[in-house]
Order: sequence, then C-alpha cells, then structure tokens
Amino acid sequence: MTALASDPMPALAVRALRAGYGSGGDIVRGIDLDVAPERILAVIGPNGSGKSSFVKTLAGLLQVREGSIRVTGNDVTRLSPAKRVSAGMAYVPQEANVFASLTIRENLQLATELLRDRPGIGPDRQARVMDMFPEVAGRPRTLAGNLSGGQRQMLAFACALLANPEVLLLDEPSAGLSPRFVDDIMQAVVRVRESGVTVVLVEQNVAAALRIADEAMVLVAGQKTLWAPAADVSDADLAELFLPGGH
Amino acid sequence: MVAQLVVNGLVTGLLLALPALGLTLVFGILKFPNFAIGAMLTFGAYTAYLANVAAGLPLAMAAVLAALATGLVAVACDALVFSRLRDRGAITLLVASMGVSLVLENVCRFFFGNATRNFDVAVSRPLRWEGVRINHEQIVTACVVLGCLVFLQLLLRASPLGRAIRAVADNPSLAAVRGVERQTVVRITWFLAGALAAVAGVLAALDRAVDPLLGWNYQIPVFAAAILGALGSPVGAVVGALVIGLAEELSSLVIPTSYRQAVSFSLILFLLLFRSRGLFGAKAVRK
Repeated sequence: MTALASDPMPALAVRALRAGYGSGGDIVRGIDLDVAPERILAVIGPNGSGKSSFVKTLAGLLQVREGSIRVTGNDVTRLSPAKRVSAGMAYVPQEANVFASLTIRENLQLATELLRDRPGIGPDRQARVMDMFPEVAGRPRTLAGNLSGGQRQMLAFACALLANPEVLLLDEPSAGLSPRFVDDIMQAVVRVRESGVTVVLVEQNVAAALRIADEAMVLVAGQKTLWAPAADVSDADLAELFLPGGH
Repeated sequence: MVAQLVVNGLVTGLLLALPALGLTLVFGILKFPNFAIGAMLTFGAYTAYLANVAAGLPLAMAAVLAALATGLVAVACDALVFSRLRDRGAITLLVASMGVSLVLENVCRFFFGNATRNFDVAVSRPLRWEGVRINHEQIVTACVVLGCLVFLQLLLRASPLGRAIRAVADNPSLAAVRGVERQTVVRITWFLAGALAAVAGVLAALDRAVDPLLGWNYQIPVFAAAILGALGSPVGAVVGALVIGLAEELSSLVIPTSYRQAVSFSLILFLLLFRSRGLFGAKAVRK
C-alpha cells in the first residue's frame, strides 16, 4: 500500500532501503513502504528473510547503504539510534530487551531521562503507560533479570512507550513465550496501537500477528514480495510466498 | 603487630581501590583490561608534582588539577587509539593499552628523568593509638578514597549518567535504542578512570615518592583486585582491593616483605584456576 497524495502523512515512510552487515552483500534489498498513523503492520516471512535486519535498520543498529527513512516526515536516515528515539522511533529487540542488571524502576527511568528534546514525555505519560502495563508498575525494586520472559517483554514495551514514540518497532515479541503469554503480548500490542502509536511488528507467529495487524508485508530474501490488508492474506498466499522460489 | 598490619593493609587496599575501579569501569563498557591504568597513575602523580612543586599550588589543588588533566589524557587516548580499534577485539585493545602505557611512562621520563621526586608538603608526626602507628598520609588516603568511593557510588546508583554507564555495560545496543549515546558514555568513563588513577597516583606518591615506575608497582595488585572482585563490578573491585591490601600486608607475617607482590600473583593464579568469575562474578540474573 502506498500513501496517496490525499492521505495523511505516513507515520513511517521508507524509500529504496538497502542495508547489510560489514562488507557483506545487502540483506535488506530495496524496500519501499508507507505506514499510516495508528496502524499495525505485520512483517512476516521465512527464516533468514531479513525481517529482523529490516527493523534493526529502521532502529539505526544496522547502517543504511542506500535509501531513506522518515518518521512523520522527518528524515532520520543518518541519525544515531539514540537520536532516532528523540525523533519518535522506538525499538524493542527480540532478546535482551531489558537491562537485566538494573531494577525495573531504573529501566523505566533510563527510558526517558536522556531524551531532552522529545515532546510529550513526563509524569502524565508515565502514568498512562503504567496503567497499560500494571504487571511492571508494582515491583520497582525487582531486578529486570529476575522477571519471566513475558514480564520482560511488558517492561520492554513500557520502556519504549515512555519515550512517546510515533512508531514502535517490535522484533518477534512472542518468541520463546508460552501460548497464554503470546495472547497477552498481542493484546498489549493492540493497546499500544489504540494509544496512538504506529506499530511495525516482526513475527514468526504468523497467525497471531495477522489476527491483530491492519496490513501485512511479506519479506523474502530482503525484498517486499507482498503488501496487503492483513485480513486478505490467505494461507495459500503465504505457502506460495514462503516456499523457496515461490514468489 | 597484627593490628598494625591490618591498618596498613586496609589503607593499601583503599589506595588500590581507585585504580581498580577505573580498570573495572572501562572493562565494564569496553570489555578489555586497560593495561595503561598504572601509567595513568604515574602520569597523574607527575602532573600533581608539576602543579605542587613547580607552580607552588597546595597539594589538594594540585591533585584536583592532576585528576582533570589525567582524565583528559585518558579521553585523548581513547580518541587517538582505542576508539579506532573498538571493533578489533579485546586482545588487540589490551596490546594497544600496553603501547599507551609505554608512551605515557616515557613521556614522564622524558620531561622529569628517572630521579625520584617528592611533593612539597610539611612532614607531620604519626598518631599513636593502642600501640598502632597511623601516618598522616594514611589518614589522608583513607579520607580521600572513601570520599571518592561515596561520590562514585552515588554517581553510578543515583544519577542518570551512572544509570547510562551501567546500561551500556549491560547491553550497549539496547542502551543505544533507549536514547543513550554510547560514545559519550565511553568518553565520560575514560575520564573517570583517568581521574581515579591520578588521585591514586598522588596518594601513592605521598606515601612513597614520584618516579616513573610508581604505577608499575601497583599494576599487578590493581589487576588482582579487579579480577578478584569480578572485572566489571565496581563494588567487587573495592572489596577485591581491600582483600589484596590486607593479604599483602599480612603475608609479611609468614614470608619476607620483598615477596609481597607474589601474593597478588598467587591470587590471580588461584582465581584463574578455581574461580574465574571472581568473588562477585556469580550470575545473579539471567542476561
């Protein structure tokens, strides 16, 4: 889906994005996309298709070789990961997504205290985020490393949201969680969207992702092979796209 | 006799705590042991000597200037050497720090020669309490080091900068996407390490004298202290330093004092063989 001239400014606009590791070849190979505000985009694809590399590139952890990334119209392509947070891009990695040796309170403090020029952060925002994640609000002195996988994920969401992001990038939030926690996590993602944040959700659990997503993008070998409303993506489409040589 | 050795050991341990903290802070965020910590200690002592004897400043002010100057030198070392080798691995950085150590030590030799020098301070009589002799220098050392430790503990535990340092040590990529500029934190940590080494250099020279090998005398005990406390753990470094200080002093009950450094070597050997994580290295949390 490409935004039309009459559409509102996309929350996230990516043009001809190429990225890779070191001196190796491109992993992300010419991706274009526009995500409208307050939508959930599910990024799905087979193992090794470049999904995680794609969101790492958006977050600034993988250097852009070509192309551009805009958040609510502002070009963030050349910004450091830290400055992208100030520009409205938040990222929750798949693993090690909290500071294990810091307490819950310290994790939450650190989420905003170095963001001097980010609007909308402060006590009001903190109160709203804590309402969304009561699991982490009541145990400020607990070491984050002693939380369960699901609780860590909630804390990571809370930390990312405290920065009042326009776009939240989630890299496989359900990885390693039991089915009961997967539902909790997906409901948390919906609550995040309802709070006005655009979500880019990378997921291996395709069924769970498509249930809550508005749009879906299929990545194969670092390239966009399908973009469609999530409700219109059928199992047959996915089987064809996921199989080697199927696109 | 034993009480005297305990007092001496505690003061020696406190003196070791500052460079051990500098070593462990840099290790925490950059994951390499900075071999130049001893040379930074020497450089700090000479800078303070320059300010105290050549410029005529009181030693306290000279120590502050030495801390600032050595902190800036440590930042310069990072900018000129370590940051360019950041992605080359711990062994490369360790070897580079040996080179930096030689350069700093020989800069001191070039300007000041090999002769030992002393600060311009009044000689004062030692205190005697219950048969234990306590030097003026030991009291100064204990007070200054304890003040530095309280300051550092507050900085690391109760300030945004301290949380940022601990966050970068824990997970640098996550810190970056939480708004922490790693390079800024790295430079501030280098400054702290240099300043701590310089303060230790002034205190060490107050006890001994300023000479080009001043830092080298502390190199092995400082490494032993940091390893004993688990590299990367600030509290561990302080406890490790106190244990090393006490062990070195009390060892004189059973071995000649000239073999004192063998205690540090033996402890390092023991730790590497039986407890490579150090005393505070048990994984309390899952990473």
